Amino acid sequence: MMQDLPRMARCLLVGAALLGMVCAALALLVGLGAQAQTTVAAPNLSAPGVAWAGFVAPRQPNYAIARLFNDYANPATGLGPVTDGPAHPYVNNEVAREMKTEPTYRVADLDNAAAKNLMPWVREALAKQNELALRGRNGETREARCWETGVPAFHLNPGLMHIIQTPKEVVLFLTGRTRHIFLDVPHAANPRPSWYGESVGHYEGDTLVVDTIGFNDKTFVDSYRTPHSDKLHVVERVRLIDGGNTLEVAFTVEDPGAFYQPWSGTRNRHRVVNPNAKIAEFGCSEANDDYYNIGLEPVPTAPRSAF
Amino acid sequence: MRVAHVCGVSLALAIAGSATACSAALAAADISGTYWATSYSPNIQVLGGGEAPLNAAGKAAYEMNQKGLKDGSIADKARRVCVPDGVPRVLATPYPFEIFQVPASQVTFVYEMNHEVRVIVMDKPLPTLDSVIADPRYNGHSVGHWDGDTLVVETVGFFEKTFLDATGLPHSDEMTTVERIRKVGRGLEDIITIHDPDMYTKDWQARFIYDERDDVRLEDYACNDTHRDLSGVKGVEGRR
Repeated sequence: MMQDLPRMARCLLVGAALLGMVCAALALLVGLGAQAQTTVAAPNLSAPGVAWAGFVAPRQPNYAIARLFNDYANPATGLGPVTDGPAHPYVNNEVAREMKTEPTYRVADLDNAAAKNLMPWVREALAKQNELALRGRNGETREARCWETGVPAFHLNPGLMHIIQTPKEVVLFLTGRTRHIFLDVPHAANPRPSWYGESVGHYEGDTLVVDTIGFNDKTFVDSYRTPHSDKLHVVERVRLIDGGNTLEVAFTVEDPGAFYQPWSGTRNRHRVVNPNAKIAEFGCSEANDDYYNIGLEPVPTAPRSAF
Repeated sequence: MRVAHVCGVSLALAIAGSATACSAALAAADISGTYWATSYSPNIQVLGGGEAPLNAAGKAAYEMNQKGLKDGSIADKARRVCVPDGVPRVLATPYPFEIFQVPASQVTFVYEMNHEVRVIVMDKPLPTLDSVIADPRYNGHSVGHWDGDTLVVETVGFFEKTFLDATGLPHSDEMTTVERIRKVGRGLEDIITIHDPDMYTKDWQARFIYDERDDVRLEDYACNDTHRDLSGVKGVEGRR
């Protein structure tokens, strides 16, 4: 205890000094007759035991909710993401369960406005993927094959997202994948291309704004396997809505190498309080072979043990 | 006038209150930050020297692992397909890692390699082996508490297929470990005690040290990818 005293004294002193400053500031405000105006605080995304679920099954079967099990929602205005079309409606596992039908692989609508925004090489890639999916091949998501998802596809996983928030950094954890967002720093001049790019963030009132560049071109922007170039630039606006019960991620994607115009989408998560639901370790490739020989993409594999 | 009065009272209350808060805060040392080892060894280095004290079953398992790793009948999945290394092998990582102490209910180790994450739940009792043996984890189930400036981490409930090091040193699913983790100068030290009577004749220890590296940011890691330059880590050079 004795050896702690100086630290204790320092701690108390700092506390008293801070309080003093607050009081002085308050007195100044009152003295100036200023209106007591609370500034909007940055969102608290990482309270103990709190995580953010991408999907919570509704009590009654609800197609509109089940539909968003693992998809982006359209933006309020403007161009949205690639979607399915009337010819081949996508039935995800949740919809299949609720509607008592069979799930399907995803087939992109190549005639809607979102598809017309794709540069020819992107459309061709999707047309090829559509053919495979219709033949029952290669329809799993990249994520299901243990590949890094990239941005914004990171958000599609319906599982629990945990967030660690410090003054310097926000870290997102979602089913074995980790993204680092560095706060209040500029982008590097030439970030080394990577799976999740270089994310820098800042708070605008109640919103965390994340700007990401420096991607490699090995990921897809969605689960339809829409490719992108290394010119991809994603801006995500993250805030709490619905009285803090919903984490809204509204994002805009631009890529002059793949899309004619920027497009947007949203992905909401629900607040879940469960102190026992820790950030999960994840051995994705532990047992992930192509058991049924349906042309699954191989999991990422190192050629040899390097060390 | 009123503000002065309110501030006077709250100052008095705050001093009393913060005495409690400050002594609580003193219980936790700050070990948050980014760390990176400067050397790597495929063999875990037993503290005090010598070999890990394998018993007969341990020796048999080690020989089987070594033979299997050599002839390819056993895959080193932590390296080939990047599943988590498990404890203590993850402590030997030649890549940087980052420690977070928020929220206060946990200490989180975020590793660059295999994007592994270890969550140490603070100030909770260690689960019994019986309660977790059917729910094994690569890194086990960990709880922690502060002993002065040292974070003490106890872990139970390991997935038996991991190795203790890159040479295939074995363990059973009944292994338990205790780690004592503290800042040493500008670095971090983790001394781990391995308790596994199924494989070892007595408890043994290994020590891992890391440099604090505020200049380093964790990078993405995918198994088939080219990763960061490890030429600053002795023992890895030429192996990548």
